[in-house]
Amino acid sequence: MRKKSFSRLFLFCLFICLSTWGHAQSLFKLKGKITDTSGMPLPGATIQIKGKKAAVIAGGDGSFSISAPSQGTIKISAVGYDPKEVSFNGGAELNITLSSGNKSLSEVVVTALGVKKEKRNLTFSSQEVKSEEILRAQEPNVLNAITGKVAGVQITSSTGAPGSSSAIIIRGITSLTGDNEALIVLDGVPMNNDETDGGGNGGSGSNRLADIDPSIIESMNILKGAAATALYGSAGARGVVLITTKSGGKNSGKPTITLSSGLSFETAILAPRQYTYAQGSKGVYVDGVTAKTSTSWGPRIDTLYQNGVKVPFYNQMKEFFKTGVTNNNTISVAGGGPTSNYFVSYSYFDQTGTVPTAKLGRHSLFTKFNTQITDKLSLTTELTYTYSSKNLINEGYGLQNPLNTVYIAPISYNLKPYLNADGSQRLYRYSRDNPYWVLDNVGNTSLVNRFLPVVNLAYNPTSWLSVTERLGADIYTDKFNNHVNIGDISYPTGRLYSVDENFRQFNHDLIAQIKGKYGKFNGSLLVGNNVWSKHYDYMYATGSGLAKAGYYNMASASTVSYSENSSMQRKVGFYSQAEIDYDRLLILSLSGRYDGSSVLATSNAYYPYGSAAIGFIFSELLKDRLKQIINFGKLRVSYASVGNDNVGPYATTTPYVQVNSTNVYATNITFPYSGQNGFVISSALGNATLKNELQKEFEIGLETKLLDNRIGFEASYFDRRMSDGLVQGVALASSTGYGTTTINSARIRTKGVELLLTATPVRTKNFSWDVTINYTKLNTKVLKVAPGLTQTNIGFTYAVEGKPYGMIYGSKYARTAKGELLLDDNGRPYNGGNDFLGTATPDWTGGITNQFHYKQFGLSFFFDTRQGGVLDNVDEYYNLFYGVSKTTESRADRIVSGISASTGLANKISTTAQAYYQTVSYITEAQIQDASYIKLRNVSLSYSVKKSLLVSTPFKDATITFTGRNLWIHKASNFTGSDPESNNTYGTSNGSLGVYTFGTPTSRSLGCTVKLVF
Amino acid sequence: MRKIADILFILFATAMLTGCKKYLDVNSNPNSLSVASEALILSPVEEGMSSYVCGGYNAILANYWMQNMTLNQAVPSDVTYVVSNSAFDQPWYNFYVTCLNNLYLLNQQATTNNNSSYAGIAKILTAYTLGSATDLWGDIPYSQAFQGVKKTTPSYDSQESIYTTIQVLLDSAIAEVTRATGTAPGSDDFFYTGDMTKWSKFAYSLKARYYMHLTKASGYTAAAQSQLALTALGNAMTSYADDCYFPYTGTTTASAPWYWNFFNTSTAIFASTYIDSLKARSDPRISVLATLATNTGLYTGSVIGSGFGNLNDYSVAGSAYGNANSNGYVFNSDEALFLKAEATYRVSGYVAATPIYRNAITNNMLKLGVDTTSTAAQAYLTARGSLTATNALQLIMEEKSVANFLSMENWVDWRRTGYPNLTVISSANGAASGITEIPRRFLYPLNETTSNPQSVQSATITDRVWWDTK
Repeated sequence: MRKKSFSRLFLFCLFICLSTWGHAQSLFKLKGKITDTSGMPLPGATIQIKGKKAAVIAGGDGSFSISAPSQGTIKISAVGYDPKEVSFNGGAELNITLSSGNKSLSEVVVTALGVKKEKRNLTFSSQEVKSEEILRAQEPNVLNAITGKVAGVQITSSTGAPGSSSAIIIRGITSLTGDNEALIVLDGVPMNNDETDGGGNGGSGSNRLADIDPSIIESMNILKGAAATALYGSAGARGVVLITTKSGGKNSGKPTITLSSGLSFETAILAPRQYTYAQGSKGVYVDGVTAKTSTSWGPRIDTLYQNGVKVPFYNQMKEFFKTGVTNNNTISVAGGGPTSNYFVSYSYFDQTGTVPTAKLGRHSLFTKFNTQITDKLSLTTELTYTYSSKNLINEGYGLQNPLNTVYIAPISYNLKPYLNADGSQRLYRYSRDNPYWVLDNVGNTSLVNRFLPVVNLAYNPTSWLSVTERLGADIYTDKFNNHVNIGDISYPTGRLYSVDENFRQFNHDLIAQIKGKYGKFNGSLLVGNNVWSKHYDYMYATGSGLAKAGYYNMASASTVSYSENSSMQRKVGFYSQAEIDYDRLLILSLSGRYDGSSVLATSNAYYPYGSAAIGFIFSELLKDRLKQIINFGKLRVSYASVGNDNVGPYATTTPYVQVNSTNVYATNITFPYSGQNGFVISSALGNATLKNELQKEFEIGLETKLLDNRIGFEASYFDRRMSDGLVQGVALASSTGYGTTTINSARIRTKGVELLLTATPVRTKNFSWDVTINYTKLNTKVLKVAPGLTQTNIGFTYAVEGKPYGMIYGSKYARTAKGELLLDDNGRPYNGGNDFLGTATPDWTGGITNQFHYKQFGLSFFFDTRQGGVLDNVDEYYNLFYGVSKTTESRADRIVSGISASTGLANKISTTAQAYYQTVSYITEAQIQDASYIKLRNVSLSYSVKKSLLVSTPFKDATITFTGRNLWIHKASNFTGSDPESNNTYGTSNGSLGVYTFGTPTSRSLGCTVKLVF
Repeated sequence: MRKIADILFILFATAMLTGCKKYLDVNSNPNSLSVASEALILSPVEEGMSSYVCGGYNAILANYWMQNMTLNQAVPSDVTYVVSNSAFDQPWYNFYVTCLNNLYLLNQQATTNNNSSYAGIAKILTAYTLGSATDLWGDIPYSQAFQGVKKTTPSYDSQESIYTTIQVLLDSAIAEVTRATGTAPGSDDFFYTGDMTKWSKFAYSLKARYYMHLTKASGYTAAAQSQLALTALGNAMTSYADDCYFPYTGTTTASAPWYWNFFNTSTAIFASTYIDSLKARSDPRISVLATLATNTGLYTGSVIGSGFGNLNDYSVAGSAYGNANSNGYVFNSDEALFLKAEATYRVSGYVAATPIYRNAITNNMLKLGVDTTSTAAQAYLTARGSLTATNALQLIMEEKSVANFLSMENWVDWRRTGYPNLTVISSANGAASGITEIPRRFLYPLNETTSNPQSVQSATITDRVWWDTK
């Protein structure tokens, strides 16, 4: 069913043919050289004798040598060039020139439902990221590999902990409280990308797309607009990431074995802090042993003596963090015969974090087998199996987070040893755990076993009809354990927490497609049916009062509470798409879908929607001379109206829930209690009238290729309006008796511009330079929250009418009407009431990739940027209060400039630095910081051994690549943390955006990868 | 093309749809109950009364402002009156969502099922919660509350009408618990194990409490309110056997609220104002009311605004309230006895009130395990047990605040009578800018001001609720 017109795959097959059969025949050697119109050699061009299977690939200088009969015709093809046939007679060396064709003419991309289309004919916006690009990033999580690379796509990462979560949001948010992440589709089957397994008392989890080994990915195509994704129905309303895995080649004979091994070292990027002043208060030293205090408002440490002995200096962060090591090994085997082919890959990824106990391990096995059962029937089966294990610390401001005390510990206190002689914890202050005690006594582990089977049966009875049945599943078990040993400050008797999650998702698609040609019209019609279901089963157990220190089995707990939860969600869809192409000039595409969803009110379960799009390839009409300049040009316009059921199951009713720690927040007691069970009405009011939300999107786009395809430019503008948006957990006034409800009320509008520029400024025989630039500006506004409600809080942030998403709310400095600071009678600023302090959403994002090739060397470097938006640096609140912030290095008494609130005159009252910063720390505005950054995210230097040097070796290819990541970060001047990108300590859910609080810092990484192909 | 598509589509759809109706009918929640029996609701609601209404942040804040408790942290803080509307979200939510709405549904369901005991209990606890809420916030929603999306912005009832409602609720509750028809509560009733007589005493005690709250309300007289209270007290609690409390076993999933409130990570400790007054009077109850500081072995409270010191140098709640297995008190019989002393004093003078007052003190001592015949107890009673015309109200209120320790009633009593004597925290000791008197009410929560804006919500913490006239 996979058409081998996919040029890359074709190349791959031929390459293998060469290696296996190239030496076998002993006819005469036909030699020649392939160049482009400018005389530049075309390494990698494929040369094949017409009518024969054997083919060779042109070398670095464009030359080739192929066994040939005495006369005949050779076919030459190269990606981006028009194929050519040249006849030969005898042994004269051939000099063949290929003229560059339209890359977009030959490029084929995978679109919705796995339908392959020529890129030139697309009527919607999409951007493809290929394997090399993904692998170059050296990121274990494929989402991080595309950060900053795709226009219109925002990848939000959480912290620097191994395996920490990332989110992909395409064209901004579509839901206030529901899922905003793109649908992930692996070889035609939806794949779950939930965030699971956050730290026991806070911190980011892992997004489950991280279970996929990036090296099995052939390409990722990101479908952006509603017109692109309408066929995916409700789930596709947030954009779709289509992942296509690698396959074996047809007729490749001898298998190709690829070995890749990488090693890299990570060093934590530490936040600045003051290293001048010791523990104490009001300038008086406190040693943390004979007396304790949490603050570092003591004297200078460089001149500090206690009992005649100089007080030593401790760099707490440097001592705590260690160098992380990442090891990634992959082996894959690919091959195939005339009727079947296979691809098998195994990889082992192992990472130790910069926090000593943090670890991530991933064994990943992928197999794919394709066979032609009969002439008309082909079968592809594949299975992805992953075993992921992760050890993580709690992050955020929970007390079991070791980072908390590492970041704010005084520089004059030795945190080691962590125990007193009597076995109790040793620390410079009360009411917190020693971070080194935490490392040994508090921990979280997560174990995931995941299976992703796909079966694809394609039946092509005639040239104009094809029928595809695709069955797939996504099944994982996720076991999460958290333990807190006896002696912890919050859980003195110890605590155990364990979650077993069982996730199952099943998907079926039956698709029939007919194609026809009538004169200058090319038409196709697709009809299909989708059935989908998703199941979650959770078991939670919480135990406390351990029988013995360090014994973490649930049997150790003297009190155990248990709860379970299961949910099921189903959907059916019927869809159709018609496409007519007139003379490759004008393309009209219409699609429609009718969905039924189990999570809506029964009477509103079914809803129709559709899209219409037109593509106009104006370059077809250009005169030849102009066509030399504008090689390709397309204008496209689309309009789509897509229904969506973005709400969890059971939101239509209000049940009575058992009172326990998982159902009812912060309860003092867990039922059953003393033999008595207890239920209360859910605080989330059900709504029996829920219907689908509606997303309407207008889009216009331009795609051009200019100047011999050296410049490519794509631009999209879209205007998307979400109405009847489902808001789950919209806050009600508590006096209604309920905390939240679910309603169809939100309206959100996003207007956006996406630009993508590709250019090849230099292309010579030995040297080439390619640049890719992308730019995204999204303007998202929440237009309506709910009737009578202009704002609602979503986790740590707010959705507010007329404002962007993710508004941060808190106290501001009291100010005069003119904006001058108002100061109290102590000469210090004070709280001027609460207000919105900024949005966690950026103004614009962009990225630039430069790639240089010189002979066997490749160098690429990639910058990306986020501009605008703020974060709430909660660390700074503590740092200011405790006298740890770098800012608090200036400790002279001060007369704060401003107006005295009581006199109305300029302030003349002096305040101490300690009193000033401690006062200011209570004002949220003092910790709101600019989240903008520019990052040199990736630098990659590679060397491929010359093919000619490999002739006598078993290798077909040998490459060594050096990679540096996160080498340079430009931060906003008011940002006081380590990396403004890691501003989602609590993970990537809607309500956690923009909260920077005691997270694992991101790392600077240096590494090397060796790749060998046999 | 499109036509063919449509036809195919419609054919396809019709064929499949019939089968799909059933396939999609899976949205009934398997994890919870659609209806819960009265017994299942009562237990968690009773615990909620203890944890949230009596032991929540609202009670902590009342104790900060009454200078019983403080934090071992730098000032300014909520101890020194720095509070914003959002600080009141959680208490308000706990009153309305966790407690009142469940009581509302319990009352409705029990009334429908003719289970009058449950209906009566629901009304008593509703009256209690409403009374606690109105004393904190003044005007509050009730008559239009608990309607979900049918009424997203419930209007606020005046405090005076809430007080009327409380008495009406208690009167019908007394009738219902006396009638005791239908299913009888048993082990699900953690307060009284289904003893309806005790529920009735509790209801009468509450009636007295809320009559006495209006001693200085405009349009009401202390004498008339005291007379009403005395009548109600004729059927009210008489000894600590009548106490209303939730029993905690003391495991980590069942610990008393004040145990958590004073848990070391909260850094909450006793304030010197409170500890020093116990010490000055050589109160024999100090050993159960407070702990000895771990480091010093002394009873020490922190001077509010003195900054923060060594956490282990200070006392926290003792075994009477602060152990993991201490009772979570909802209504002390001592309160009923002191109400009687106050009402008697107001109606008949200090001489008549004295024996009632002394009885109230001994009742509390006995409850706390103090031998009333001991030298210390006798000395205490000698020093504190006699009322005079000038000191009667002060002594009654001071002793009531010791006996009713940690209860929010102490803040109400202080607002009504000015006792115990307290001095506002000075700005030098960290008082919030512009606050020069002890707060007399809470702010409305942010959740209400944004979701249900009402004109009364502009009140500040130094404004007075309706009954709190100057």
